[in-house]
Amino acid sequence: MQNFNFIRPDNLEEACDLLVRYKDRAKLITGGTDLIIALREEKLPNCLEIIIDISNLKELNYIKEEGKYIRIGSGVRHAEIANNKLIKKYAPVLSMASSVVGSPQIRNKGTIAGNIITASPAADTIPALIVLDSILVIRKGKEKRKMFLKDVFEGPNKVNLKSDEIVCEIYFEKLPLGAKSNFIKLARRNAVDKSRMNIAVVAQQNKNKEITNIRISVGSLTPIPERFKDAEDLLLGKLPTQDLIQKAGKKIAEEMINKSGYRWSTEYKEPVVKSLIDRVLNGIVEVE
Amino acid sequence: MAANRKIELNIKVNNKDYKLFIASNKRLLDVLRDDLGLTGVKEGCAIGECGACTVIMNGKNVCSCMILAGQAEGAEIITIEGLEGPKGELHPLQEAFMETGAVQCGFCTPGMILSSLVLLKNNPSPTEEEIKEAISGNFCRCTGYKQIIEAVQLAAERMRGGGM
Ligand code: FES
Ligand code: FES
Repeated sequence: MQNFNFIRPDNLEEACDLLVRYKDRAKLITGGTDLIIALREEKLPNCLEIIIDISNLKELNYIKEEGKYIRIGSGVRHAEIANNKLIKKYAPVLSMASSVVGSPQIRNKGTIAGNIITASPAADTIPALIVLDSILVIRKGKEKRKMFLKDVFEGPNKVNLKSDEIVCEIYFEKLPLGAKSNFIKLARRNAVDKSRMNIAVVAQQNKNKEITNIRISVGSLTPIPERFKDAEDLLLGKLPTQDLIQKAGKKIAEEMINKSGYRWSTEYKEPVVKSLIDRVLNGIVEVE
Repeated sequence: MAANRKIELNIKVNNKDYKLFIASNKRLLDVLRDDLGLTGVKEGCAIGECGACTVIMNGKNVCSCMILAGQAEGAEIITIEGLEGPKGELHPLQEAFMETGAVQCGFCTPGMILSSLVLLKNNPSPTEEEIKEAISGNFCRCTGYKQIIEAVQLAAERMRGGGM
């Protein structure tokens, strides 16, 4: 286990000040899963001096409704998000994703921001937050900035945040009335296993059953989590048929190969992603 | 590399208050086992996957290998040792685990029982699916889970009957 001093600031301001002062010599801890593993394997840089524990800060622990937005403090645990009434009502896709993260023990400790910051392509909540077009509020000292979640990822396990910045909040617009959402996770073993592939979808149809709103994100397919615009464009404005849904699945498989190249896993992922798209869309869309 | 400083840690474990001075890089698991001698808390994988190190912290089951000791400041912890009744009697879950053969090598048992206890506190009549879900973060390499599920059902029945 690496050596460090442990500091538990009383409020967010103190935490921000510490980070600005220590920069690379400090690390934040919330849920801690990935950080503690790295500490044990002595993988953090030698200059590490302090661990700043923000897991108990009340200022980062809230879920609230504000006009058309839902705002979630970065320290909220997966278990709370999974069971929260506002999330179930306005962003069920996030509730579904949060309820299958890791194991009950991990959900009781792990936070929404932790899942983002480690940027594992397999993190369950990320595709859900991506289809919600989530925005992050990031703080450095007293300054705040905002950024779309999709822009924070630089590559697998890499985010473009500075060492003195703290993610304070994640917010998004409530899903419109009549929009449906769905989340499916495919893992080798349900609990714990880092999700192999997961897919989040939001879809809405008008009176004539034409698709008026469609957002699709698939985890573990591309180096950077994102929406699959080509497939979305294919579906938008159309009357969904089984044939069209299959074409959308094909588009996504193509996009995956374009972005990640043809790999050893492609042979497995290609048919799986097609059938997942089929299942996830058929779960919420009224098909002709 | 920074030196480890000692930190003060105030925790309540199994209803007893402690004030400890410990190295800042200890995990809650280390404090419970090494400083307090509560060896019913097991270390299996040490990466948050097996659930052998499960304890109840402020009413929720968590992996004590994934918590730095300092993060438990002010917390209330229950370990398997805390389930003993005032006269040393076993908890209905412990009784049921023994009766159904849910304990084989026993390594997973403390964590398994604590996760089950959290379940039964929130949901006195769980379905089989709910039991499976509740213990999905606790791995057992011996029993195949069937006896464990039976044990939880049996304990639930007895606890509903006012047994505890
Ligand atoms: S030892 Fe903590 S989860 Fe395995
Ligand atoms: S009884 Fe041996 S691991 Fe469960």
